[in-house]
Amino acid sequence: MAVEIPKEKWTAQVRKVTIGATSEEGGTRAKTLTVGGESALPFLHYEGSFPNKPALAVEIRDRKPDDWSPLLLDALGETAEDPAKWAQAAEAMGADLIYLVLSAATADGNPNTPENVRAVVRKVLDATGLPIAVVGPGQAEIDNELIVPAAEEADGERVLLGVCEEKNYRTIVAAALAHNHLVQSKTPMDVNLSKQLVILINDMGLPLERIMMDPTTGALGYGIEYGYSVMERLRLAALTGDKMTQQPMIVDPGAEAWKVKESKVGEGVPEAWGDWNRRALNWETLTATTLIHSGANIVILRHPENVARVRKVIDDLSSATT
Amino acid sequence: MSRYVATRAIRGANAIVAEADVLLQKALKEKGADQAVAFPNTAYFLPVALGMMGHEVSTLGELEPVMTYAKSMLHPIPDSKVWTPYLGETLDSGMATLLAAETIEAIRFVYGEQPEPYPGFQLAGGTSFTSPDNGGEPSLDGHLNGPIDDIQLRSWGIQLVDGRMPGFAAIIGAARSNEAAVSIVRELQQRSILTFLSGNVNGRSIIDQLQEEGVEMGYDTYIVPFGRDTLSAIYALGFATRSALTFGGLKGGQWRDILLYNKNRVFAFALALGEVDDLKYAAAAGAISYGFPVIADTIIPEILPTGVTRYEHVISMPWNEIEGETESEKAKQLVQKCIEVRGVKIQITEVPVPVPYGSAFEGEVVRRADMRAEFGGKGSRAYEYLFMADMDDVEDGKIEVIGPEFDTLDEGGFMDLGILVKVAGRKMESDFEPVLERQIHYFVNGASGIQHIGQRDIAWIRISKAAAEKGFTLKHFGDILHARFHGDFGTIVDKVEVKIITEPKLYAEWLEKAREAYNERNERMGAMTDESVEDFYSCTLCQSFAPDHVCIVSPERLGLCGAYNWLDCKASFQINPTGPNQPIKKGECLDDDKGYFTGVNEYAVQASHGSVSDVAMYSVMENPMTACGCFECIMMVIPEANGFMIVSREDTSMTPAGMTFSTLAGVAGGGLQTPGVMGHGKFFVLSKKFIRADGGLKRVVWLSSIMKEQMAEQLKEAAIREGDPDLIDKIADERDCTDVEGLVKHLQEKNHPALSLPPLM
Repeated sequence: MAVEIPKEKWTAQVRKVTIGATSEEGGTRAKTLTVGGESALPFLHYEGSFPNKPALAVEIRDRKPDDWSPLLLDALGETAEDPAKWAQAAEAMGADLIYLVLSAATADGNPNTPENVRAVVRKVLDATGLPIAVVGPGQAEIDNELIVPAAEEADGERVLLGVCEEKNYRTIVAAALAHNHLVQSKTPMDVNLSKQLVILINDMGLPLERIMMDPTTGALGYGIEYGYSVMERLRLAALTGDKMTQQPMIVDPGAEAWKVKESKVGEGVPEAWGDWNRRALNWETLTATTLIHSGANIVILRHPENVARVRKVIDDLSSATT
Repeated sequence: MSRYVATRAIRGANAIVAEADVLLQKALKEKGADQAVAFPNTAYFLPVALGMMGHEVSTLGELEPVMTYAKSMLHPIPDSKVWTPYLGETLDSGMATLLAAETIEAIRFVYGEQPEPYPGFQLAGGTSFTSPDNGGEPSLDGHLNGPIDDIQLRSWGIQLVDGRMPGFAAIIGAARSNEAAVSIVRELQQRSILTFLSGNVNGRSIIDQLQEEGVEMGYDTYIVPFGRDTLSAIYALGFATRSALTFGGLKGGQWRDILLYNKNRVFAFALALGEVDDLKYAAAAGAISYGFPVIADTIIPEILPTGVTRYEHVISMPWNEIEGETESEKAKQLVQKCIEVRGVKIQITEVPVPVPYGSAFEGEVVRRADMRAEFGGKGSRAYEYLFMADMDDVEDGKIEVIGPEFDTLDEGGFMDLGILVKVAGRKMESDFEPVLERQIHYFVNGASGIQHIGQRDIAWIRISKAAAEKGFTLKHFGDILHARFHGDFGTIVDKVEVKIITEPKLYAEWLEKAREAYNERNERMGAMTDESVEDFYSCTLCQSFAPDHVCIVSPERLGLCGAYNWLDCKASFQINPTGPNQPIKKGECLDDDKGYFTGVNEYAVQASHGSVSDVAMYSVMENPMTACGCFECIMMVIPEANGFMIVSREDTSMTPAGMTFSTLAGVAGGGLQTPGVMGHGKFFVLSKKFIRADGGLKRVVWLSSIMKEQMAEQLKEAAIREGDPDLIDKIADERDCTDVEGLVKHLQEKNHPALSLPPLM
């Protein structure tokens, strides 16, 4: 007996957002990254169209991080010593976007400076042809101090700047307005707050086509179901026509997965947990793929191997015919 | 529009356009049409011409269309006998003036007359300029700034857009004295307002005055000397135009959007010091098109109606009539007025007190043993009273302590204290007075070592020894309130003045006034009905954990958490227009008894994402309002008793429903509509609309004793209103019974009215 699969009809679609600018568009990127545009829930090809697959960003730092897992640092090797090499390595891994996170302090413990930020941004732009994102260390005042020179240095490159949060978004948005960039709008796991911050940023005059929405997530086992549910509800609202929730979503499974005990700790844990490296990698993979199922358009990853692994999941899901 | 102003502006425009035209013809003859024309270091050509006309000027010849356009906007001077509306003509003339001024400055650049040479002048950072005098090297010496370059535009623009810089002031002319000039500029500087200087009065400019007084001018000091004639004020409008092009994503030629962008987002104003001549009137008319009001320190006709600008267009504040002993006091008043007229919001980020401050200290308790002084409580009384006044009657930031400080007390002693807060604001309404007044509790509590309990005339404040040792005095209450009201309620409050009273006579006098106001507010709130308003308010604050729940708050039904009544929601919406409290048009009333409204139903569908389509505001048996989980009480039908039980959050006992509060919460919460069960706020029980469709207060058969005690007086009044003065005594509580059998027996013994009402089910 033939089974009729019930199909949902949606009235709206996710907004398309393009990061990066080629030389024709006033930048120097070899290619740009467009996400969004889908008109149904993730991978349900029989219900709508999916012009752009979920994309993978790889996080790099302006200097070798002090607090990253030795597993990650081992895998990265000497590339972690230099942001330019790291960016090239990320490109080789198959990244679609370089996600550059600035540190609050330099390696010798002094506060990071606008001059250093400019130099790093320039280096990364010169090292890779991929579009880039530049975000601050996540402390309002320092973020503002560092993102403005970064935006200036990357003028015209349509960089994704961040991170805009409810308490601190105005300076970053102003920098994006002044230098033709995009912003990442991050709110703590709440549909209405996500929507509200998009409205506030848009009210400042930044077009919706230049806003990526970050609804925040937790790692596998650490609140991922909560993040999943918020993303799912945002996407349902988007597809039913709520304009201010139609931004494509970016989430950071890399940072989340690598800060939980299961991936961080290799000793003194139950034997049943198995091989540390395998466990840690799987934690990041599963966090990322789960979020892709709930509608993530860009996931940020850390481990080199995971780029290929997550890519395979996306490709397999995208090629399914029924 | 004043005919006097119109006449002078139109006359000024006609003269300057003619002058520009002559100058352009001469330049064309001497230098040729291909001679390059540019302001230094900008990608925006001549910005006003680009913004308003979409016309890119890079040669002398390309200035001709600008002049043609300017001429087309000129008008004859208004007839002295026939009175016609001349706002349009005046604004046109203003725009013609700006184009002519920009043309003249551009030509002056060609002749090396701009930026204006000023021997001996040194810019403290600025647009560097190459001149033959310094061997063709960029230099900051010997000239004024001229137009602001693009790099600085972006840097300051970001601060203007993100709000760190509240706005800019374009000062034109010269102050009454050097001292006045310095005072005015310092007042602006203190408020982080960017200051542009231009113009003169009889050859003497504010730039000369500041130079004589040794005030550094340039990018580094946020005081930019454009030039010593009125025409150089055009650079301020060029800056404004480029702001809109850079930060508003606008293109040249979108003149309407550019002007609106400036009106709505760039908080700038013009301050005309000294005599206002025709050209200044004409330039002012140009500024008004950008939504920038003009304030003069001389007697000129005022234009008070709003329209092109947000508030008044032209304000006259004659210097010698400003109250104040010294020039600096007068300057303060003048600048305050400018800020007010333009609606510039001042940000205060830190609370200036000698003890740590933050919400982490809100719950702190000061024990008797640690206490330095006490106000209110057993031995003394304290009250706080916030009221609004006219803008001119409130002096922002003024904090007075009237009467002795607490250092006159013995350790652990007490005294009477009154805190008066006088506020003013363009958007302030008397309805917001109680909403703001209740914030005093949270604000004062934020200081480490200070404990605040209660409100109104039952306030009770303790200051710890530790706080007193660090130097906390009564004045600091004022500092806290001034900073926090500006910080948290800046959208509705523009000015805050505080009086702290310990002087007994004045204390008693104001206590009387405060009590009168409290009574009046009670009555006003009591008289406010759902019928008397157009809008209810939504509250979706809890959707983070109850995604489909939406609270509808009406004057007679407060939020189920008890924290938000209708006025709170109204104020919250003013403060945060994109926030969780949105007005809901009531729409048509479909059922007066049950409380169905078309607007409420439509909103519920949308905000609950389709899961709730009908809400009965006044019924629990049919389509009751959903709940998140924050309710103060839960009401549930007890069919055997033909009524409802209400259990409050504090009550942990078993109830006749066979469930405790926490078990019931699972049934009542989560955004589900369950007829017969409802979460609600405590005070809703007192409302005339309280489950009106189901029989009102007479249906309540069981009520947690804590509520009976907390609201004894009000419940008694409500019972009298319902026509059964002994009703509360007939209602059982957990001390009488916690099961249905006991409840029914109790009701029969007490002859509770619910038993004789029509059956609920």
